[in-house]
Amino acid sequence: MIKKIALFSVIVLLLTSGCSQKKPKPGTDANSIVGETVTIDESGVNSSSRYNGSSDGMKSVYFDFGDYDISYDAQRTVTFNAGVVKGKLRGGKIKLEGNCDEFGTDEYNYALGLKRAKAVKDSLQAQGVRAGQIVLVSYGESNPQCREATESCYGRNRRVDLHPVR
Amino acid sequence: MRYLIILFFTFQLFAVDATLKIEKDVEERARISLVDGSGSTLPIGERFFSTLISDLKISGHFLPDATHHRGSISSNTVAPALKSKDYVLKYSLSQAGGLRATVKLFNASDASLLATKDYSMASINKYPFMAHKIVSELNAMLKYPDVNWLNRYVIFSRYTAAKRSVIVLADYTMQYQKTVIKGGLNLFPKWADPRQKSFYYTSFNGIIPTLYRLNIYNGSKTKITSSQGMLVCSDVSRNGSKILLTMAPDAQPDIYEMRVASRSTRRITNFAGIDVGGKYLGGEQSIVFVSNRLGYANIFKQSIGSSAVSQVVFRGRNNNAVDAYGNKVVYASRESHNSFGLNAFNLYMTSANGSGTRPLTTTGVNQFPRFSTNGNTILYVKQYQNRSSVGYINLVSNQSLLFPLGGKVQSIDW
Repeated sequence: MIKKIALFSVIVLLLTSGCSQKKPKPGTDANSIVGETVTIDESGVNSSSRYNGSSDGMKSVYFDFGDYDISYDAQRTVTFNAGVVKGKLRGGKIKLEGNCDEFGTDEYNYALGLKRAKAVKDSLQAQGVRAGQIVLVSYGESNPQCREATESCYGRNRRVDLHPVR
Repeated sequence: MRYLIILFFTFQLFAVDATLKIEKDVEERARISLVDGSGSTLPIGERFFSTLISDLKISGHFLPDATHHRGSISSNTVAPALKSKDYVLKYSLSQAGGLRATVKLFNASDASLLATKDYSMASINKYPFMAHKIVSELNAMLKYPDVNWLNRYVIFSRYTAAKRSVIVLADYTMQYQKTVIKGGLNLFPKWADPRQKSFYYTSFNGIIPTLYRLNIYNGSKTKITSSQGMLVCSDVSRNGSKILLTMAPDAQPDIYEMRVASRSTRRITNFAGIDVGGKYLGGEQSIVFVSNRLGYANIFKQSIGSSAVSQVVFRGRNNNAVDAYGNKVVYASRESHNSFGLNAFNLYMTSANGSGTRPLTTTGVNQFPRFSTNGNTILYVKQYQNRSSVGYINLVSNQSLLFPLGGKVQSIDW
């Protein structure tokens, strides 16, 4: 009986022991690492807007942190802008550029900037600006007006800029 | 009684075996020393050695000796001091006509030559890739799990000024960097194919955002689509035939799937708020994405073709970045109390059903989590104490490394 147990134990030990070290095969090879990549220069491409703020008499609309609702103060600015669009820029297209502060990932911020631009568009439409006159784009956090780590600067970057499309 | 004795011995054997297994996981990493036969005058000598060490460490399969041993590689002997290792890797670099390397691998105990190989490249600037190639091939030869991700390009975009950016190719250590697009505002690069011949990116240089695909070798540029508002390619199917887009044709950011060949798109999410950052789950029949449908950024899951959405993460108040591999999900969660105070974002690993959540980082601002092609390593970007780094976490071995990254990254992929 003891012999059977000993034999059984040996078998179990052999089955559960680690694998022997793998032996790699020797070889010689010449190996070339190639593949030069290009560099594309788009400096000369016409950028739609070099502005960092609104233009042509229109004013930027500002937002609270993480928010895309039009506040009372922001509404007054939108009303002013609607007057400019319908008057001085009569019939012309305008571009609304949504912007964000630096917090959060850029993809989410691009969406947040777009929601801000949409909120301004909806408000302009409510005041008689035709939807077809308005183009929207978000620049996320790519277009800061300032870079200081202050609440004031963060607030300046949470905005929608307005420009005529030429 | 006999059966009890047998049972007792059996349990004892497995109990001992379980303990040994835990120790063995650590000890299974092969101890390896490097011997540099290049000569001390080679300018890239130290950096090449450091790159080899980093590669060996992050692979999770080696315990490299950090001492920079020097010696001739022409003799097939192993110094007595190194005989306690498992392997000795001898290499010699030369700068004749670009960069060349001769590599020899020895079994340390008996100095038997296991392999010898020559490498060459035309541009010495790409020397990190030679080191990565050496280690990934050494790893494969020794039949360890694949670490070919070491050889891959990392691509990232960085703002250079207001509405200006560059898109840069780099090796995973960031020692090699080359601008692939400069000028204008071009963002959100995303590899279009597993072999990294081309990538998608969003150009803001026109009136509305436009998605392009660029071949990095011949420069051919293909327009994919345009969309008012915003347009980002957030994921690509394994065979490259489909892509996930965050688009806003009605100024409403939602996630779409596009069949690239036909340019046909179908809308996946339909929510009046923000849905961004869609990533395929295993099988590519469902996605995870970031949405503010609960009033704050969080991670959700949805089957493509179904409108039912389920919440994946149930902790944190701002979970604004996600990546997925199979059923594994990694996300970034903001953990600072004050919106304007010092921000802390940490990475968490979870599953598509939200179970098994565990932290991967504990300090700093950790963002842009990205799985490697085999799902075993995570790339991320860390900002800590005014320093920016790209980090890698090997999920199997728990090894992690950080490499300096100059400047703030806008988006990154590998």
